[in-house]
Amino acid sequence: MQQLSPSVLLVLVPALPLVGAVLTMLLGRSLRSRAHLPAVVGIAAAAGVSLVLLAATAAQVGNSSDAHPEPVRPVEMITTLWQWATVEDAYTPPSNSEALIPGIVLPRDTSGVRAFSIPVALRLDPLTATMLSIITCVGLLVAIYSIGYMHGDPGYARFFALFALFVFSMSMLVAASNFLIVYVFWEAVGACSYLLIGFWFRRPEAARAAKKAFLVNRVGDFGLAIAVFLLWMTYGTLDFHDTLSLDGTILPGILGQTRLADAGGIVGGAVGAAICLLLLLAACGKSAQLPLHVWLPDAMEGPTPASALIHAATMVTAGIYLITRSAPLFMACPGALAMVSIVGATTALVAALIAVVQNDLKRVLAYSTISQLGYMFASLGTGTMLGFTAAIFHLVTHAFFKALLFLGAGSVMHSMGGVIDMRRFGGLWRVMPMTAATFLAGACALAGVAPFAGFFSKDEILTSLHSKAFPSVHGNHGPESPAAETAHLHLTSWMHDGRLALDASSTYGLDAIDRPEIWQILFWMSLVTAGLTAFYTFRAVFMTFTGPTRVPEEAGHHAHESPAVMTLPLVILAVLSAVAGWWLFSTHWLSHFLSATPSLTAPSVARTVVPHLFHIDLAIQGTLAAAIGIAVAAIGHLGRRSDSPQMERFLGPLGSLFANKFFFDQIYTGLIVRPLEALALLAAIIDRSVIDRLVDWIATIPLGVGAIVRQLQSGLMQRYALAGVMGVLMIVLALAWQLRG
Amino acid sequence: MPPMPPMITMPLMTTSLETFALLSPEITLVAAAILVFVAGAFAGFRSGWLGAVLGIAAAMALAGGQPDGGATLISGTITIDGFSIYIRWMVLVLGGLLALVQAGDVFASASSRSGGSWRGSTCEEAGTFLLLLAGLSLTGVANDMVLLFVGLELVSIPTYILLALKRTDAHGQEAALKYFFLSLVASALFLYALVCLYGIGGSTSLAVIGQRLCSTDEQLMGMATVLLPVALGMAMAGAAFRLAAVPMHFYAPDVYEGTSPGNAALLATLPKVAGIVVLLRLLALGLGGQAISMAAPPSLGSASLAGSAPLAGSASLGEAALTYLTLFWQLSAVLAALTMTVGNVMALLQTNLRRLLACSSIAHAGYLLLGVAVAAASGAACVDTLGNGSIQTASDTSWTLGLGGASATLFYLSTYVLATVGIFAALTYLGHRWPEWSSGSGPRPLRQEITSVEDLDGLSGTNPVAACGIAIFVLSLAGIPPLPGFWGKLSLAIAAMEVDWNARIAWGSRRAAFVSLAVILVLNAAIAAAYYLRIIAAIYFRSAKRGVQADGGISAGVAMLVCMALVLMATLSPRGLFASASQAGSVVSRNILSDSVGSDSFPASPHTVAP
Repeated sequence: MQQLSPSVLLVLVPALPLVGAVLTMLLGRSLRSRAHLPAVVGIAAAAGVSLVLLAATAAQVGNSSDAHPEPVRPVEMITTLWQWATVEDAYTPPSNSEALIPGIVLPRDTSGVRAFSIPVALRLDPLTATMLSIITCVGLLVAIYSIGYMHGDPGYARFFALFALFVFSMSMLVAASNFLIVYVFWEAVGACSYLLIGFWFRRPEAARAAKKAFLVNRVGDFGLAIAVFLLWMTYGTLDFHDTLSLDGTILPGILGQTRLADAGGIVGGAVGAAICLLLLLAACGKSAQLPLHVWLPDAMEGPTPASALIHAATMVTAGIYLITRSAPLFMACPGALAMVSIVGATTALVAALIAVVQNDLKRVLAYSTISQLGYMFASLGTGTMLGFTAAIFHLVTHAFFKALLFLGAGSVMHSMGGVIDMRRFGGLWRVMPMTAATFLAGACALAGVAPFAGFFSKDEILTSLHSKAFPSVHGNHGPESPAAETAHLHLTSWMHDGRLALDASSTYGLDAIDRPEIWQILFWMSLVTAGLTAFYTFRAVFMTFTGPTRVPEEAGHHAHESPAVMTLPLVILAVLSAVAGWWLFSTHWLSHFLSATPSLTAPSVARTVVPHLFHIDLAIQGTLAAAIGIAVAAIGHLGRRSDSPQMERFLGPLGSLFANKFFFDQIYTGLIVRPLEALALLAAIIDRSVIDRLVDWIATIPLGVGAIVRQLQSGLMQRYALAGVMGVLMIVLALAWQLRG
Repeated sequence: MPPMPPMITMPLMTTSLETFALLSPEITLVAAAILVFVAGAFAGFRSGWLGAVLGIAAAMALAGGQPDGGATLISGTITIDGFSIYIRWMVLVLGGLLALVQAGDVFASASSRSGGSWRGSTCEEAGTFLLLLAGLSLTGVANDMVLLFVGLELVSIPTYILLALKRTDAHGQEAALKYFFLSLVASALFLYALVCLYGIGGSTSLAVIGQRLCSTDEQLMGMATVLLPVALGMAMAGAAFRLAAVPMHFYAPDVYEGTSPGNAALLATLPKVAGIVVLLRLLALGLGGQAISMAAPPSLGSASLAGSAPLAGSASLGEAALTYLTLFWQLSAVLAALTMTVGNVMALLQTNLRRLLACSSIAHAGYLLLGVAVAAASGAACVDTLGNGSIQTASDTSWTLGLGGASATLFYLSTYVLATVGIFAALTYLGHRWPEWSSGSGPRPLRQEITSVEDLDGLSGTNPVAACGIAIFVLSLAGIPPLPGFWGKLSLAIAAMEVDWNARIAWGSRRAAFVSLAVILVLNAAIAAAYYLRIIAAIYFRSAKRGVQADGGISAGVAMLVCMALVLMATLSPRGLFASASQAGSVVSRNILSDSVGSDSFPASPHTVAP
């Protein structure tokens, strides 16, 4: 490994899965039942490489030194592969400097006209290294599991090609160092998820779910596109990193160290808030947050390993990543930051409530994913170092236990003949003990039971929320508004002649939502959610694995434990779910490591660093919530037949509200889908009766002319020569005439 | 009888050793040709095309050692500048690809006859082909009308031979004869144009003619009104034949159909390069002659400097040059509009694949002419503004991709030849197909050449690589982003939109003409998509009724793969091609703005004689 430089290794991480995907595609037909080999080997190699990179980056960050909480030095490495496109002189900095608010330091790079250039640059920093490791390692385990799960499927090769392509896209997304490249792979991830969810495209539900996922994601993508435009207009670059221009000056990237070191480097105000809210919209789309969460539960129609991949390692983590990466931008806009938390906590609660009444095992898990992602958003929104690192911490542990739970559910489904309705299961631990044991480990992690991974990460999230809600308890004297230090770009600088004179320094009351009362509400919502999480998780465990043994008849007489190729990943993930949390928490390794990410070394973030403390009261509160949840689930379901009367009867009308998923789908159908369909119908009528006729009519013109011209093609050389010479004569005469006139 | 114009005295430009050194790539090509001929005749050498490829590689190696296009070198009757180097490299790369295609072609045409007999004429073909390349490269470097014409004939005559050699059945001979006679007519017309130009300039040197044309001589105008229309009309006829543009386009479908795919690939590309070279070199006359330019902008980045360049030569720009350029762009613009429309509407009805591609090549000639018209109009605009004393609105400068009309044409030419050679390489590689046959219906019929679009039905199933290649090339020709053909069309359209950018669009103005030309270009692209997509539909959306036999020999397949690689490279990173096309084009179109008193050209300054 000594000879390979980190930049080569960094390129290898996305490249290997890509090669695997291409090879699987090309050789799939001849490899037949071994078609998984190129993809799995590619992903495995990428996983190895990314672990090496993780270790290398960690070595650069240095050891955790809690005794000296001095600011961590940012660690990053950029590899520019090639310049994708360049437009010279594309960016002209705003010239009307008198329109800027006096006393505000502008970003220093507004000095010159600049080219619009998109380097295909990959970056390596702690955040990227962490994400890459999670993506490739969990991806690898899921891929190995898929060898067993997808065995005998007619689209075996196609599945693995798509799978590797998915891993490739996601690796590029987290490794890219340019907003446009991020956007490209943001779309690529969406496309891959579309193809995987619609893998069994002959089933109408699968096709519909794929379409839904894609369309809902498009809404978020739209937000990202606008955000990228705004970023370009505001900063004149789309790079994350600083670049050295030809004449030796440094062009600061949006998230480069030059700009981060500059207190006024990040634009706040209305423009900044707009960028942040659009990024949030984008993140909501990919990470399935309210109001764009509706696609994720339906995404169950894809093969279970694909769901596991989407829910654990790829896709949904993109939103978390994007917001963490853009942390300095968000720090300039406290209102937008609070918005992230509000969206997150609300999503967490709503999704947990819906999950309570689901009877489909995979759907319970899907809503739990939405809910857990909501937690991460809530944590990100606190805008503290603790919040950001806790979110990524939870992302890591969640990747382990959610992959475990999904693969466990897949294992159940596999041996139960495709049935996934929990009401038809019972006492499966006798049939498939390995799956049951590992599933239980995952459930404990998800529910936040003490030594398991989820407990620690959830505890950190609760702590971060608590510190915002009750700042005095945590010893910091209220968050001073970081907006005071940020620059404001006057909107009139790019609106013509000030016709639209917005006051760009204010965010129109958005910042006002950043109040302790709001944070207190969010904290209590999160605590309630913790209890609900424990309840629905253990409800699923009890319904499926305990009680009298009942196996659906679809399974036949050979209901059995899954093969080793499927249980092995389960065991590995179970071990990780059990111990990773404790290890990462007790050593503070992850949080120390992540704090060297350039985005998190911004002064606005670094200022919020607090000493690591284990808040025993919060831990007790969290555990209590979980214990109540588990206890209620046990009362309701432990030892009973899973199709006996359920807890729902206590819920009354609320039950139908939850069961109908808060009527989101119906509301969207009524408000958006139906009007659009009407519009489409109208357009179709106009298109067919008016435009098509017109086009058909116009299309006959070239055909008619062609028929006439064709007559001239007689094949007789003399005529050709004659026509040519006559033509030249006509030209000469015409030119002479032109000169005369 | 008007009095003769005063003779312009020129420093003697001798043909020296340096000239030979500069011409070493061309000389290598000719030497390789002779070697191949001799080896084939006496030593029983069979691998003529191998020799051709080696010769081209040697020429490439020598060309790589030549000075780059940053400065203009004049030696004897040749000039080496960015333009000629661009053309030379294009010819060499294209020549290499075509040699591979032609090598495959031999096999295909031989095996379509009985029992795969080997005709043994490959050495003759390869040698002739090398001569053709040498001729084409010579037209690029020619700084003299005689050399230009000789170069052109050195393109034409080997073409006749190749056409006649390749395919000896009635169809092939008919095609060869048709091409031969019509080409003779075109050459004769072109020679008239050269005569007229001599009448204006009093010299065979293009540089002298250019200077003469740009001088403010009173008598010149009187003569120009008589000679210029004839010269331009005839020259355009000569170029139009090579481009397959209206009104000399009729031969293309017949000849392409009648000859082999490899020859069709040759006809669709090399003569077009020749036509564009001729047009741009003649166009440069109105800008002061190409030899005047001493320093082309070294890179893309400095391209925007032209608007503010010193204008020491402005006094020498006269009425005649303006007339010349105006006539030039008007003529090219009308022919461009006609050619692209005629080509595309003709292609709509074609079912024969090679006829269809012939029509498409006519349409592409129209696009190329559009770029020439833009270059001429930009020149005219420059002369206009110089005459008015204001220099701020020189229009051929500003676009961010940095391409003026000439550069856009050269860029488009590259993208076009790559895709076209690629398609024909794929067709050559595929070679033949089995006709429909089931085991109950008698003996298996003989395989047939791929002729119609239908023959490609279901190719994606039987030969996915070739199918993918053809799809990429066709989409590039159709101008679908992000393939290079799109960038070509885009830069052409933008160049057209930029003519007189600051002027209002008034009826009859230059700007209105070019805006409408851009619209015509886009409409034509839409029409073209109809027949291009038909090919894609046949390949991907129909089922294979017949098996395609990939018997064209591996070399054509290699050529196809190389074309694919080049197209993909140009897709992913079009910058390099943009930069060199921009450099080459700026040599042609920006002479007018460069300092004409520079004295450090090589070897002696020919332009101390400007009146």
